[in-house]
Amino acid sequence: MIIGSEVKSVTRLPSVASVIAGAALFCVVATIGADAQGTRPALPDWSGIWAMQGPTVFDRASVQPPTGRAGEPGVREAPPYTDEWEAKYRTNIDLVRQGKFPDPVSTCGTPHGFPRIMNVPDVYEFAVTPAAVYVIAENGPNVLRIYTDGRKHPASEDLWPTYNGASVGQWEGDTLVFSTISLKGSKDNDVIVDRTGLVLSDASRATTRLRRVDENTIEAQMVIEDAKALKGQWRVTKRYVKQPAGTWAWDYACAENNRNPIDPSGKTLTLGPDGKPLDK
Amino acid sequence: MERIVKRLNLALAIAFAISLGPSVLAHHSAAMFDDAKVVEKKVTVKELQWTNPHVWLQVVIDENGKKTEWSLEGGSPNTLSRQGWRASTFKAGDVVTVRFNPMKDGSAAGQFIGAKFEADGKTIGRW
Repeated sequence: MIIGSEVKSVTRLPSVASVIAGAALFCVVATIGADAQGTRPALPDWSGIWAMQGPTVFDRASVQPPTGRAGEPGVREAPPYTDEWEAKYRTNIDLVRQGKFPDPVSTCGTPHGFPRIMNVPDVYEFAVTPAAVYVIAENGPNVLRIYTDGRKHPASEDLWPTYNGASVGQWEGDTLVFSTISLKGSKDNDVIVDRTGLVLSDASRATTRLRRVDENTIEAQMVIEDAKALKGQWRVTKRYVKQPAGTWAWDYACAENNRNPIDPSGKTLTLGPDGKPLDK
Repeated sequence: MERIVKRLNLALAIAFAISLGPSVLAHHSAAMFDDAKVVEKKVTVKELQWTNPHVWLQVVIDENGKKTEWSLEGGSPNTLSRQGWRASTFKAGDVVTVRFNPMKDGSAAGQFIGAKFEADGKTIGRW
Protein backbone atom coordinates (compact mmCIF):
# COMPACT_ATOMS: atom_id res chain seq x y z
CA MET A 1 0.00 0.00 0.00
CA ILE A 2 1.29 3.31 -1.06
CA ILE A 3 -0.17 4.97 1.96
CA GLY A 4 1.35 2.38 4.20
CA SER A 5 4.68 2.71 2.46
CA GLU A 6 4.53 6.47 2.83
CA VAL A 7 3.64 6.08 6.45
CA LYS A 8 6.49 3.64 6.89
CA SER A 9 8.86 6.00 5.13
CA VAL A 10 7.66 8.90 7.20
CA THR A 11 8.01 6.94 10.39
CA ARG A 12 11.53 6.02 9.36
CA LEU A 13 12.39 9.56 8.34
CA PRO A 14 12.80 11.17 11.78
CA SER A 15 15.76 9.03 12.66
CA VAL A 16 17.57 10.21 9.54
CA ALA A 17 16.10 13.68 9.67
CA SER A 18 16.89 14.11 13.32
CA VAL A 19 20.56 13.58 12.61
CA ILE A 20 20.48 16.08 9.76
CA ALA A 21 18.34 18.51 11.74
CA GLY A 22 20.55 18.12 14.77
CA ALA A 23 23.65 18.84 12.73
CA ALA A 24 21.93 21.82 11.12
CA LEU A 25 20.79 23.12 14.49
CA PHE A 26 24.32 22.78 15.82
CA CYS A 27 25.61 24.82 12.89
CA VAL A 28 22.94 27.49 13.40
CA VAL A 29 23.62 27.72 17.13
CA ALA A 30 27.34 27.81 16.52
CA THR A 31 26.86 30.57 13.95
CA ILE A 32 24.58 32.60 16.18
CA GLY A 33 26.90 31.96 19.06
CA ALA A 34 29.94 33.38 17.35
CA ASP A 35 30.98 36.91 16.57
CA ALA A 36 31.74 38.14 13.08
CA GLN A 37 35.09 36.36 13.14
CA GLY A 38 33.46 33.19 14.43
CA THR A 39 35.63 33.13 17.52
CA ARG A 40 33.55 34.49 20.37
CA PRO A 41 30.44 32.97 21.95
CA ALA A 42 27.31 35.10 22.03
CA LEU A 43 27.12 37.50 24.92
CA PRO A 44 24.29 37.03 27.40
CA ASP A 45 21.28 39.32 27.37
CA TRP A 46 21.12 41.23 30.64
CA SER A 47 19.00 44.04 29.26
CA GLY A 48 16.22 45.62 31.28
CA ILE A 49 16.01 47.29 34.64
CA TRP A 50 17.01 45.46 37.82
CA ALA A 51 16.73 46.21 41.52
CA MET A 52 18.81 44.78 44.34
CA GLN A 53 16.97 42.22 46.41
CA GLY A 54 16.55 43.24 50.03
CA PRO A 55 17.83 46.18 52.04
CA THR A 56 21.31 47.71 51.98
CA VAL A 57 22.99 45.52 54.58
CA PHE A 58 26.01 44.35 52.59
CA ASP A 59 26.42 40.85 54.03
CA ARG A 60 22.87 39.74 54.70
CA ALA A 61 24.04 36.20 55.46
CA SER A 62 25.79 37.33 58.65
CA VAL A 63 23.84 40.38 59.81
CA GLN A 64 22.70 40.48 63.40
CA PRO A 65 19.92 40.81 64.27
CA PRO A 66 18.79 38.95 61.13
CA THR A 67 16.21 41.64 60.33
CA GLY A 68 18.62 44.47 61.12
CA ARG A 69 19.01 47.29 58.66
CA ALA A 70 22.05 49.36 57.83
CA GLY A 71 21.98 52.55 59.88
CA GLU A 72 19.96 51.13 62.75
CA PRO A 73 21.83 51.24 66.06
CA GLY A 74 23.42 47.94 67.08
CA VAL A 75 23.21 46.21 63.70
CA ARG A 76 26.38 44.46 62.57
CA GLU A 77 27.73 41.88 60.17
CA ALA A 78 30.55 39.39 60.62
CA PRO A 79 33.36 39.88 58.11
CA PRO A 80 36.56 37.99 59.04
CA TYR A 81 38.19 41.16 60.35
CA THR A 82 41.61 41.27 61.93
CA ASP A 83 41.55 42.44 65.54
CA GLU A 84 42.60 45.93 64.49
CA TRP A 85 39.80 46.30 61.94
CA GLU A 86 37.25 44.64 64.19
CA ALA A 87 38.07 47.42 66.67
CA LYS A 88 37.56 50.00 63.91
CA TYR A 89 34.19 48.42 63.09
CA ARG A 90 33.12 48.54 66.73
CA THR A 91 34.08 52.20 66.91
CA ASN A 92 31.95 52.83 63.82
CA ILE A 93 29.04 50.89 65.31
CA ASP A 94 29.25 53.21 68.33
CA LEU A 95 29.25 56.22 66.00
CA VAL A 96 26.11 54.84 64.32
CA ARG A 97 24.54 54.56 67.77
CA GLN A 98 25.40 58.23 68.41
CA GLY A 99 24.07 59.34 65.03
CA LYS A 100 27.57 60.42 64.03
CA PHE A 101 28.46 57.95 61.30
CA PRO A 102 27.76 60.06 58.24
CA ASP A 103 27.33 58.53 54.83
CA PRO A 104 30.12 59.88 52.56
CA VAL A 105 27.73 59.99 49.60
CA SER A 106 25.64 62.62 51.43
CA THR A 107 28.05 65.19 50.04
CA CYS A 108 26.60 64.47 46.57
CA GLY A 109 29.44 63.74 44.20
CA THR A 110 31.37 61.14 46.19
CA PRO A 111 30.98 57.73 44.54
CA HIS A 112 29.82 54.77 46.58
CA GLY A 113 32.91 52.83 45.48
CA PHE A 114 33.40 49.10 45.07
CA PRO A 115 32.05 46.83 46.56
CA ARG A 116 29.33 49.17 47.79
CA ILE A 117 28.27 49.93 44.22
CA MET A 118 26.82 46.41 44.19
CA ASN A 119 24.76 47.29 47.28
CA VAL A 120 22.72 50.39 46.54
CA PRO A 121 18.98 51.02 46.41
CA ASP A 122 16.97 52.25 43.41
CA VAL A 123 17.66 50.40 40.15
CA TYR A 124 20.49 48.97 38.08
CA GLU A 125 21.30 48.35 34.43
CA PHE A 126 23.87 45.81 33.25
CA ALA A 127 25.16 46.85 29.85
CA VAL A 128 26.97 43.99 28.11
CA THR A 129 29.15 44.95 25.15
CA PRO A 130 31.87 42.98 23.32
CA ALA A 131 34.68 44.92 24.99
CA ALA A 132 33.28 45.80 28.41
CA VAL A 133 30.41 45.35 30.82
CA TYR A 134 29.03 48.40 32.59
CA VAL A 135 27.17 48.11 35.87
CA ILE A 136 25.11 51.29 36.04
CA ALA A 137 23.55 52.12 39.36
CA GLU A 138 20.86 54.80 39.20
CA ASN A 139 21.61 55.81 42.77
CA GLY A 140 24.62 58.05 42.96
CA PRO A 141 24.77 57.71 40.00
CA ASN A 142 27.61 55.20 39.81
CA VAL A 143 29.21 53.25 36.98
CA LEU A 144 31.45 50.20 37.37
CA ARG A 145 33.48 49.55 34.21
CA ILE A 146 34.66 46.00 33.66
CA TYR A 147 36.89 45.58 30.62
CA THR A 148 36.53 42.24 28.85
CA ASP A 149 38.65 42.92 25.77
CA GLY A 150 41.51 40.77 26.99
CA ARG A 151 43.50 43.50 28.70
CA LYS A 152 45.25 42.85 31.97
CA HIS A 153 45.35 45.10 35.01
CA PRO A 154 47.70 48.05 34.55
CA ALA A 155 51.15 47.80 36.10
CA SER A 156 51.21 48.99 39.70
CA GLU A 157 53.12 52.15 38.76
CA ASP A 158 50.30 53.03 36.35
CA LEU A 159 47.59 52.72 38.99
CA TRP A 160 46.35 54.93 41.77
CA PRO A 161 43.65 54.10 44.31
CA THR A 162 40.15 55.05 43.23
CA TYR A 163 36.63 54.51 44.58
CA ASN A 164 35.72 51.77 42.10
CA GLY A 165 39.27 50.65 41.36
CA ALA A 166 40.19 48.87 38.13
CA SER A 167 38.25 45.85 36.90
CA VAL A 168 39.09 43.39 34.14
CA GLY A 169 37.26 40.18 33.40
CA GLN A 170 36.50 37.36 31.03
CA TRP A 171 33.50 35.26 30.16
CA GLU A 172 33.25 31.70 31.41
CA GLY A 173 30.20 30.62 29.46
CA ASP A 174 27.44 32.99 30.57
CA THR A 175 29.30 34.01 33.73
CA LEU A 176 31.39 37.17 33.82
CA VAL A 177 34.36 36.65 36.11
CA PHE A 178 36.16 39.85 36.97
CA SER A 179 38.89 41.04 39.25
CA THR A 180 38.85 44.44 40.96
CA ILE A 181 41.99 46.03 42.38
CA SER A 182 43.40 49.47 43.23
CA LEU A 183 40.61 50.46 45.57
CA LYS A 184 40.81 53.60 47.65
CA GLY A 185 39.54 51.94 50.81
CA SER A 186 38.60 53.76 53.96
CA LYS A 187 40.96 56.12 55.72
CA ASP A 188 38.68 58.12 57.99
CA ASN A 189 35.40 56.50 56.98
CA ASP A 190 35.59 58.44 53.71
CA VAL A 191 34.61 55.26 51.86
CA ILE A 192 32.25 52.82 53.52
CA VAL A 193 30.71 49.49 52.55
CA ASP A 194 27.42 50.08 54.30
CA ARG A 195 25.85 52.19 57.04
CA THR A 196 26.39 49.63 59.80
CA GLY A 197 29.96 50.97 59.82
CA LEU A 198 31.60 48.39 57.54
CA VAL A 199 34.84 49.57 55.97
CA LEU A 200 37.72 48.01 54.05
CA SER A 201 41.32 49.09 53.53
CA ASP A 202 43.24 50.20 50.45
CA ALA A 203 44.58 46.64 50.25
CA SER A 204 41.13 45.27 49.45
CA ARG A 205 40.49 43.49 46.18
CA ALA A 206 37.81 41.17 44.89
CA THR A 207 36.96 38.48 42.41
CA THR A 208 33.34 38.60 41.33
CA ARG A 209 31.26 36.08 39.41
CA LEU A 210 28.32 37.84 37.76
CA ARG A 211 25.68 35.74 36.04
CA ARG A 212 22.02 35.53 35.23
CA VAL A 213 20.78 32.63 37.32
CA ASP A 214 17.25 32.68 35.89
CA GLU A 215 14.96 34.84 33.79
CA ASN A 216 14.37 37.29 36.63
CA THR A 217 17.59 37.19 38.63
CA ILE A 218 21.18 38.35 38.19
CA GLU A 219 23.61 37.26 40.89
CA ALA A 220 26.96 38.67 41.97
CA GLN A 221 29.15 36.35 44.02
CA MET A 222 32.00 38.38 45.47
CA VAL A 223 35.11 36.98 47.11
CA ILE A 224 36.79 39.86 48.91
CA GLU A 225 40.35 39.79 50.18
CA ASP A 226 42.09 42.47 52.19
CA ALA A 227 45.61 41.84 53.48
CA LYS A 228 45.24 44.64 56.05
CA ALA A 229 41.65 44.31 57.24
CA LEU A 230 40.66 40.65 56.78
CA LYS A 231 42.06 37.40 58.16
CA GLY A 232 40.60 35.40 55.27
CA GLN A 233 38.29 35.57 52.29
CA TRP A 234 34.94 37.27 52.75
CA ARG A 235 32.26 35.81 50.49
CA VAL A 236 29.17 37.93 49.86
CA THR A 237 26.39 37.32 47.35
CA LYS A 238 24.01 40.01 46.09
CA ARG A 239 21.02 39.42 43.85
CA TYR A 240 19.16 41.73 41.50
CA VAL A 241 15.56 41.20 40.46
CA LYS A 242 14.23 42.14 37.03
CA GLN A 243 11.71 44.96 37.09
CA PRO A 244 8.58 45.02 34.92
CA ALA A 245 9.07 45.66 31.20
CA GLY A 246 8.95 49.35 30.44
CA THR A 247 10.40 50.41 33.80
CA TRP A 248 12.49 53.56 33.54
CA ALA A 249 15.76 54.47 35.17
CA TRP A 250 16.12 58.22 35.63
CA ASP A 251 18.70 60.90 36.26
CA TYR A 252 19.77 61.04 39.88
CA ALA A 253 21.22 64.51 40.31
CA CYS A 254 22.14 64.35 43.98
CA ALA A 255 23.20 67.99 44.26
CA GLU A 256 19.90 69.24 42.86
CA ASN A 257 18.37 69.85 46.29
CA ASN A 258 20.57 68.32 48.98
CA ARG A 259 18.99 69.35 52.27
CA ASN A 260 21.07 66.93 54.33
CA PRO A 261 24.67 68.19 54.61
CA ILE A 262 27.06 66.89 57.27
CA ASP A 263 28.34 69.16 60.03
CA PRO A 264 31.96 68.99 61.31
CA SER A 265 30.97 66.64 64.15
CA GLY A 266 29.72 64.05 61.67
CA LYS A 267 26.05 64.75 62.32
CA THR A 268 23.74 64.75 59.29
CA LEU A 269 21.74 67.96 59.31
CA THR A 270 18.23 68.62 58.04
CA LEU A 271 17.81 71.94 56.29
CA GLY A 272 14.56 73.85 56.01
CA PRO A 273 13.29 75.26 52.72
CA ASP A 274 15.26 78.44 53.45
CA GLY A 275 18.52 76.46 53.61
CA LYS A 276 18.96 76.92 57.37
CA PRO A 277 19.29 73.90 59.68
CA LEU A 278 16.06 72.83 61.36
CA ASP A 279 17.98 70.73 63.90
CA LYS A 280 17.73 71.85 67.51
CA MET B 1 -15.97 49.65 65.41
CA GLU B 2 -14.73 52.30 62.98
CA ARG B 3 -12.46 53.59 65.70
CA ILE B 4 -11.03 50.12 66.29
CA VAL B 5 -10.41 49.65 62.57
CA LYS B 6 -8.76 53.05 62.43
CA ARG B 7 -6.51 52.17 65.35
CA LEU B 8 -5.74 48.79 63.81
CA ASN B 9 -4.82 50.46 60.52
CA LEU B 10 -2.58 52.90 62.35
CA ALA B 11 -0.96 50.04 64.27
CA LEU B 12 -0.35 48.18 61.03
CA ALA B 13 1.08 51.31 59.44
CA ILE B 14 3.37 51.77 62.42
CA ALA B 15 4.46 48.12 62.31
CA PHE B 16 5.10 48.38 58.58
CA ALA B 17 6.98 51.64 58.99
CA ILE B 18 9.14 50.13 61.69
CA SER B 19 9.74 47.01 59.64
CA LEU B 20 10.82 49.09 56.66
CA GLY B 21 13.09 51.23 58.77
CA PRO B 22 15.04 54.06 57.20
CA SER B 23 15.59 52.40 53.84
CA VAL B 24 13.57 55.08 52.06
CA LEU B 25 16.49 57.46 52.58
CA ALA B 26 19.04 56.27 50.08
CA HIS B 27 21.49 59.10 50.35
CA HIS B 28 22.09 59.88 54.01
CA SER B 29 21.92 58.51 57.52
CA ALA B 30 18.39 58.48 58.90
CA ALA B 31 19.64 58.74 62.48
CA MET B 32 17.79 62.04 62.98
CA PHE B 33 14.38 60.37 62.67
CA ASP B 34 12.61 58.41 65.38
CA ASP B 35 11.54 55.31 63.48
CA ALA B 36 9.71 53.97 66.52
CA LYS B 37 7.24 56.86 66.48
CA VAL B 38 4.57 57.68 63.94
CA VAL B 39 2.90 61.09 64.07
CA GLU B 40 -0.42 61.66 62.31
CA LYS B 41 -1.45 65.25 61.52
CA LYS B 42 -3.99 67.02 59.37
CA VAL B 43 -2.07 69.55 57.27
CA THR B 44 -2.33 71.90 54.33
CA VAL B 45 0.18 71.36 51.53
CA LYS B 46 2.38 74.33 50.74
CA GLU B 47 4.67 72.74 48.15
CA LEU B 48 6.04 69.44 46.89
CA GLN B 49 9.72 69.79 46.04
CA TRP B 50 10.04 67.08 43.38
CA THR B 51 13.83 66.92 43.43
CA ASN B 52 16.75 64.58 43.97
CA PRO B 53 18.12 63.21 46.14
CA HIS B 54 14.83 63.39 48.06
CA VAL B 55 11.41 64.88 47.59
CA TRP B 56 10.27 67.28 50.30
CA LEU B 57 6.64 67.84 51.15
CA GLN B 58 6.30 71.27 52.72
CA VAL B 59 3.15 71.42 54.82
CA VAL B 60 1.53 73.82 57.26
CA ILE B 61 0.24 72.48 60.53
CA ASP B 62 -2.39 74.63 62.25
CA GLU B 63 -2.58 73.96 65.97
CA ASN B 64 -5.03 76.19 67.79
CA GLY B 65 -4.46 78.98 65.32
CA LYS B 66 -0.70 78.72 65.45
CA LYS B 67 0.57 77.83 61.98
CA THR B 68 3.92 76.12 61.58
CA GLU B 69 5.65 74.92 58.40
CA TRP B 70 6.99 71.38 58.51
CA SER B 71 9.36 69.63 56.10
CA LEU B 72 8.60 65.99 55.37
CA GLU B 73 11.30 64.06 53.55
CA GLY B 74 10.54 61.22 51.15
CA GLY B 75 12.45 58.97 48.78
CA SER B 76 13.93 60.01 45.46
CA PRO B 77 11.52 61.12 42.72
CA ASN B 78 12.99 58.25 40.68
CA THR B 79 11.84 55.60 43.12
CA LEU B 80 8.59 57.33 44.00
CA SER B 81 7.63 57.72 40.33
CA ARG B 82 7.97 53.95 39.96
CA GLN B 83 5.59 53.63 42.92
CA GLY B 84 2.92 55.78 41.32
CA TRP B 85 3.84 59.25 42.56
CA ARG B 86 3.98 62.18 40.17
CA ALA B 87 5.30 65.73 40.52
CA SER B 88 1.64 66.80 40.57
CA THR B 89 0.56 64.34 43.26
CA PHE B 90 0.44 67.08 45.90
CA LYS B 91 -0.73 70.59 45.02
CA ALA B 92 -0.56 73.74 47.11
CA GLY B 93 -3.72 73.99 49.16
CA ASP B 94 -4.45 70.25 49.30
CA VAL B 95 -5.71 69.26 52.73
CA VAL B 96 -4.29 65.89 53.72
CA THR B 97 -3.68 63.76 56.77
CA VAL B 98 0.00 62.81 56.86
CA ARG B 99 1.89 60.17 58.81
CA PHE B 100 5.59 60.56 59.43
CA ASN B 101 8.48 59.59 61.69
CA PRO B 102 9.31 62.76 63.62
CA MET B 103 12.77 64.16 64.24
CA LYS B 104 14.26 62.89 67.50
CA ASP B 105 15.03 66.46 68.57
CA GLY B 106 11.45 67.66 68.06
CA SER B 107 12.23 70.05 65.23
CA ALA B 108 9.67 70.72 62.51
CA ALA B 109 10.57 67.90 60.12
CA GLY B 110 10.01 64.21 59.63
CA GLN B 111 10.34 61.18 57.42
CA PHE B 112 7.23 60.85 55.25
CA ILE B 113 5.29 57.59 55.56
CA GLY B 114 1.94 58.21 53.86
CA ALA B 115 -0.91 60.62 53.27
CA LYS B 116 -4.67 60.60 52.84
CA PHE B 117 -6.36 63.32 50.80
CA GLU B 118 -9.37 64.90 52.49
CA ALA B 119 -11.09 65.71 49.19
CA ASP B 120 -11.47 62.16 47.88
CA GLY B 121 -10.04 59.85 50.53
CA LYS B 122 -7.28 58.62 48.23
CA THR B 123 -4.03 57.59 49.87
CA ILE B 124 -0.40 57.58 48.82
CA GLY B 125 2.65 56.01 50.38
CA ARG B 126 2.24 53.48 53.15
CA TRP B 127 -1.22 53.85 54.68
